[in-house]
Amino acid sequence: MEQEEEEARMHKAEFDPPEIEYVSYGGEHHLPLIMNLVDQELSEPYSIFTYRYFVYLWPHLSFLAFHKGKCVGTVVCKMGEHRSTFRGYIAMLVVIKPYRGRGIATELVTRSIKVMMESGCEEVTLEAEVTNKGALALYGRLGFIRAKRLFRYYLNGVDAFRLKLLFPCPEIHPSLSMMADRVESHGHHDHISPEECPEHHHIS
Amino acid sequence: MAERDAAEATMSHQAPERSSIPSGDNTVWADISPLLDAACKELGDGEMIHGENFNLFAAMSALEIMDPKMDSGIVSKYCSLDEAIEDGAAPVPLSHDKTIDVQSIIDIMDHLLACEATWHSGHSLAQTVFSCIYLLRLDRTSSHAILHSYCRVIRATCKAVVSVVSDARTHEEEDLFSMTYGLPLDGDGDEKCLSFLNAVEETICRQLRAYIEPLQHNLDLEDGFCKALLCRLRFPKCYHAVAFCICLQPVVLDITHRICSLPALLSFIRLLQHFFHTLACMRRPQGRGFEMARKHIASCILELESILKSAEFLRFGVCGTCEDSIEDKTTASGHTPIGFDASLNSRSAAPTPPRAIKILSWKRAVEYFVKLLHDLDVICSYSLDPSLEGVLRFVVQFQKSKPDLVARAHLQVLLVQDGKLYGRDPIFAVITKASALPEFTKNHDIQKSECFMQLGQLVINMLKILCTNAAWQRRKLGKILQDWRVIYVQLELALRNEVGEVSSNMDDEKMSVKILRHVLNWVEEQTYWIASRFLMLGFELDLYSPSEYCMVYWYLYVVLIKLAEKTHFRMAVSNEPIKRKGKKKKDSLKEVAKESRVHPAILFLQCHMCLAEGLTMMLAALRNDLMVLQSQNPFNTEQERFLQHFELLQKACIPDHISYPSFKESTSYARLSTLVMYNYFKDAQRIAKEIKSSFSNDPEKLAELRRIEQVAEHNGIALNVISQVGALDPSLKVTFEFTHHPCFATAVVKRS
Repeated sequence: MEQEEEEARMHKAEFDPPEIEYVSYGGEHHLPLIMNLVDQELSEPYSIFTYRYFVYLWPHLSFLAFHKGKCVGTVVCKMGEHRSTFRGYIAMLVVIKPYRGRGIATELVTRSIKVMMESGCEEVTLEAEVTNKGALALYGRLGFIRAKRLFRYYLNGVDAFRLKLLFPCPEIHPSLSMMADRVESHGHHDHISPEECPEHHHIS
Repeated sequence: MAERDAAEATMSHQAPERSSIPSGDNTVWADISPLLDAACKELGDGEMIHGENFNLFAAMSALEIMDPKMDSGIVSKYCSLDEAIEDGAAPVPLSHDKTIDVQSIIDIMDHLLACEATWHSGHSLAQTVFSCIYLLRLDRTSSHAILHSYCRVIRATCKAVVSVVSDARTHEEEDLFSMTYGLPLDGDGDEKCLSFLNAVEETICRQLRAYIEPLQHNLDLEDGFCKALLCRLRFPKCYHAVAFCICLQPVVLDITHRICSLPALLSFIRLLQHFFHTLACMRRPQGRGFEMARKHIASCILELESILKSAEFLRFGVCGTCEDSIEDKTTASGHTPIGFDASLNSRSAAPTPPRAIKILSWKRAVEYFVKLLHDLDVICSYSLDPSLEGVLRFVVQFQKSKPDLVARAHLQVLLVQDGKLYGRDPIFAVITKASALPEFTKNHDIQKSECFMQLGQLVINMLKILCTNAAWQRRKLGKILQDWRVIYVQLELALRNEVGEVSSNMDDEKMSVKILRHVLNWVEEQTYWIASRFLMLGFELDLYSPSEYCMVYWYLYVVLIKLAEKTHFRMAVSNEPIKRKGKKKKDSLKEVAKESRVHPAILFLQCHMCLAEGLTMMLAALRNDLMVLQSQNPFNTEQERFLQHFELLQKACIPDHISYPSFKESTSYARLSTLVMYNYFKDAQRIAKEIKSSFSNDPEKLAELRRIEQVAEHNGIALNVISQVGALDPSLKVTFEFTHHPCFATAVVKRS
């Protein structure tokens, strides 16, 4: 672990945070960028359908970070009805190693969460490996609590935390019913527990 | 367009008849290559051909064929078990050379041990134990006595373990464990397998004697030579030994090898025999086989020790000094065992995840079994305490060693059998005893009422949940709090009805009222006990962040107050024949605690209360005075985090009238200066010291009191340091660690 950090320091990219450009998912040309990033950083293999499921149904919840034209980070999310609450779900979050520790992941995920909040989500959830200190710290700073521990959640035998962020004032938001309709019109029945979704957060 | 062209193209190509899967009444085999070709030409990026029922969510389950990460089929060497066997992947005998045959069998036994441990740790049977080709086709091994009988006992052992885990149903999240569909787990006559193994054991013993006698004879003649050989064989740095042995006559080497291999072989056989017996003894109802099981467990541990010792010899000449690489191996010798292929089952019906798994190393596997045997021994040495309080204490203590699934399943099967405690005590009798009711009430007709039937079920569920892994347990405990609350309300209603009704039989009416009163108090006590366990497990599972400790300790404190109140009431009515009304003010307990006659069990709870209150106030004062341990974030406030952490408790009104505002109210005025004046930690220390003598026969409680004292002492000092220099020295950093207690943190003060 320490060695990894050492290596990361040695290969730190030099840049000014304002040089990073954040873009909402813009179409098919962004898909290979997201796939490459996730494939590169995570061991779990995802088929192209996994990515399509998220970016086709919730393009406005996915963001990419670019530095001088190079894609250096991405966040992939969804939202929908879950046991009578309308909740957002963060599926994947990746920032490549040389760009970590400079707030890119925080910015990416903050943008997604803001859209979720504006769309009427009552809460946001995700899972993270109990050993992924970077991700846990990041989500902790954003107000997520560790709601549950999931025993041997990953195939490698590591436990996961289910993280949850509850938004204040659960008032009925006008866009809530609209969103539900939109999701419905895609013929997608979103009564899936998040457990079934891919889940990885590599950001530090 | 593309679809129509392709469809036409398909019509013109009649696909060849496939023999393996016949076409059905309304289906016909067709070559779809032209369709795909045509589609490829027409479709742009992101377009696809799909049926009407296609949806993107279901498509996520798609596997990309020919991608080795997803398509486990392409990495397998053989298409079928038969092909593997034909290719000689699992020869019988393993070798015509007797020495190699014996060594290979030991490798197989080693690897099976590693497989079994890996299976117990949450992987599928198909990818672990049943990756053994010999096990998949046991009939092939019948000519090989050792291999055959060993495999049969392994199979029977697996079956016994599956049975106990399935009976316990503690494996909610570990359901891979008992999936045996498609595996040849059932064998005729496996009950006789032990007798086969016993016969084999006898034969090996005879062989061993036959080898040793001539050598002993030799020893007299060529004492120095043999000693030199033997000691070199045991010498860890094997280079010299290898060189030495190469010069020796092959016959001598052969005999020495066999002599040293046979005890290892025997150890394995005996380990398996004793393990099988252990499992069988443990399944006898009401712990009747425990004494015998403990004997077998002790023998198992002895055999495991011999197996560990044999490793040095078996490793001889294999990889010289490369100790590191042996660490990952699944055999003591470091050899790859003959006859295993984990990918074979991925083509069969057996349920396996599509990815390869890593089998535990031989060393880790031996460690696993030592731990398992130890845990089983703890269960077997338990004296079936008839009081529920004793049972709960034992289970909580047992869980502290983090036992694995198999051990936990055994405990659960022991505790709950046929809807009775230990399969012996009716739950209603257990409840009346726990509620401090007189013995004869256990036969009262009230137990037949719906309410009490449900309560009995709740108690059984609670016992089962307490045997599950900590993560699952906490979630389930949180959920059942609501059920306990509902039963409380129902019992309260029943009590009101009873009191209101004028019964013809006054004595009987009185008795049912008495039962309801006692049970009602006990239900509350039990509910608060569950709530406190729920909150404390959160620390063990690392669910709280330092900025949340304050609210968690506060909640724990209010739950502990109620728990102590209910416990006190129960003890008061059981000790005094004169009825006392349970109306108490919130703070009355503190006053009561000052009286000398308070029961030590209450004072014990009081220690925990002092720590919880002390930590709450210390954390609150740190926030109020030094502005540390606060967490501000862009999306929500502390109130939302409070609601989320205690949602299940709040829903069940545990305790009543407790909310975020009451938390704020009790902590917003905390100041370091006042805390030093009234130091809760000193109280904790003082009470812990006072009650030690009451628990002189209870090592667990004494150990807990020592932990309490340590936490209290360290925090008391830290509080003094912080209050003296804290506000003046901005470089002072306060962190909280769980060095002395798993739930109660110790403050660490450092200058940064």
